[in-house]
Amino acid sequence: MDTTDRGNSFQKFQGASKYVLDEELAKIVNVSMALEMPLLLKGEPGTGKTMLAHAIAENLSMPLIVLNVKSSMKLVEALYQYDTLTRLNDSRFGDSTRDVSNIEDYIKMGKIGQAFVSDRRTVLLIDEIDKADTDFQDDMLDILDQMEFDIIEIDKTMKAKNRPVIIITSNAKKDLSDPFLGRCNFHHIAFPDTDMMKRIIAVHFPNLDRDVADTCIEAFYRFRRIDGIEKKPATRELINWIRALKADPDFDVSALKRGDVPYLGVFFKKSTDLAMAGKMVARSRN
Amino acid sequence: MFINFFYSLRDHGIPVSPTSFLRLHKALNTGQVLSLKDLYTVARSTLVKSERYFDSYDQIFAHYFEGAEMPPITDLELDEIARALLEEWLKNPAQMADALGIDESTLRQYTPEELIQYFLDRLKEQTKEHHGGNRWIGTGGTSPVGHSGVHPGGMRVGGSGGGMSAIKVALERRYRDYSHQGPLTQSQMGEALKKLRRMVPSGPRDVVNIDKTIYETMKNAGEIEIVFDKRLKDRLKVILMIDNGGWSMDPYVHIVQVLFDYARDQFKDVKTYFFHNTIYEKVWEDPTRYKKPEKIITFPSRDLETRLVIVGDASMAPYELMYESGSIYFEERKSKASIENLKFLAKTFRHAVWLNPRPRNQWSHTWTIDAIQEVFPMYELTLDGLDKAVNYLMLRN
Repeated sequence: MDTTDRGNSFQKFQGASKYVLDEELAKIVNVSMALEMPLLLKGEPGTGKTMLAHAIAENLSMPLIVLNVKSSMKLVEALYQYDTLTRLNDSRFGDSTRDVSNIEDYIKMGKIGQAFVSDRRTVLLIDEIDKADTDFQDDMLDILDQMEFDIIEIDKTMKAKNRPVIIITSNAKKDLSDPFLGRCNFHHIAFPDTDMMKRIIAVHFPNLDRDVADTCIEAFYRFRRIDGIEKKPATRELINWIRALKADPDFDVSALKRGDVPYLGVFFKKSTDLAMAGKMVARSRN
Repeated sequence: MFINFFYSLRDHGIPVSPTSFLRLHKALNTGQVLSLKDLYTVARSTLVKSERYFDSYDQIFAHYFEGAEMPPITDLELDEIARALLEEWLKNPAQMADALGIDESTLRQYTPEELIQYFLDRLKEQTKEHHGGNRWIGTGGTSPVGHSGVHPGGMRVGGSGGGMSAIKVALERRYRDYSHQGPLTQSQMGEALKKLRRMVPSGPRDVVNIDKTIYETMKNAGEIEIVFDKRLKDRLKVILMIDNGGWSMDPYVHIVQVLFDYARDQFKDVKTYFFHNTIYEKVWEDPTRYKKPEKIITFPSRDLETRLVIVGDASMAPYELMYESGSIYFEERKSKASIENLKFLAKTFRHAVWLNPRPRNQWSHTWTIDAIQEVFPMYELTLDGLDKAVNYLMLRN
């Protein structure tokens, strides 16, 4: 195979303004793009799976198309939609510019379809694939493999003009089906460690005092370690929390250091969790 | 390149496919793999498709490329490997028999349980006495147990890239937490239960039924007549009966109950009852089995499409199950034999399963498990078992 300088002909992904990319992940993204394979991302909520697609789109300045998978979704909805009602309406009243005898006028592209017909290469994010059933998943990958699908109503094959960069995310602990996995590259994003988190916070709050940031992050990891918490706070909660602290004129970092934690509700969205965390805060204050 | 590495992964139960291996080579040709660390990352993302295997991958990678000592394999890991081998075997017996150098026809006579045992024995042999890899996984001494791995020292061309070498990364065993199938967590349970539902139309009529609309419009001589339908909503009823007596059930009661509560917004109603060891005349709504008894005899008056899920270890003294007045509680002494009550429930609710938290390989040791299995289909309380149980519950007939 021709190996000379192929790597350079690809656009490379190097991170975006609001996304801290670890090197490992950057490599995987680049290789997946080079191999023209979908990249399947797993990891607990808040590890930036969805953010990654946004970051790739921003970095490579490609348009981003997001397909939010729902459990009731049928594959054809992601590809295209035949708007029968409008056609029926037009055929009755005939006051539109559309040609009623031309079905193609009533075909609307779904998210995958949009990525295929786009004149530019796009980033296609298929979010939370685990919500759909196995048939949906396998059939979808067939289409992403062949980069074409048929519109039955007008007997036309839609071919992708540009092969989109495909990012698929999954929250499930359960593995997806074997044929599905066989066609994807896989990465599991671990929850960021303290150093990584410091970098993430620094990107989001460039002007935040180091001392404040460190104290906040320390408190954050302390909360994550509480036993029996049902929904652990994730990166998103930390960022929102710091935002809340910054907006509060009365906030004082030394109080935080003493264990006085305001706005616990930002971290914990379940009442039992909140109660538990509240107790822990009360204990540490005494 | 790296053929032996590939087989090492396979031998350790990581399901790597030849296609993915070829893809790795394609990736190597893209000019993106410049260092050992790149290789580590790229090989993992192309070959390994579940974080459960990341830990094994780390160890094998470290061993293969640096000759690090393989940690002794624990029984639990062996168990998992044997299981993986069995799966392979079931897919393609001839190929496996060939690869292992054993006669296919002898193995064909084994039951799956016996096969697992057989694989386990051979694996243990392998870990104990290592004779150049010829005893069992006989791919020419490529077993990573011991120091026979190939070590291409000249791989590191592009510097160590990023401060931490791939070997170091691999040796950290960052993915240890994910490697075992550990106990069921809430989110896992929620995943499995998602499938358990029955869609029936309900609520306001706000979805257009296109076929009917066209039909009615035609009937109406082209004057548009739009027909609306109700949305499909899940209306499944579930009865959950939990064995909450006996120490063997203690670790499981909480998680089972919490999770069915968790799934409550999916089900129209979940009713939870408790019992100890087995079911006599009554089950109780309160975990203390004291305040709110519910007579078994009243259950047929409920919706018979209700899914009945019984969770228990099904392990007790045979007389508790089989004899009239077998209950260990005095006040229940007058009842029918418990097995009769179980049969009564099974007859009442045709969609019923028994979930057993004890590992399946222990089931054959307990007589009462066998007896109850004849009444209810029994599944392990694991992700897999739950999946199967849900599938069974959703069968039409």
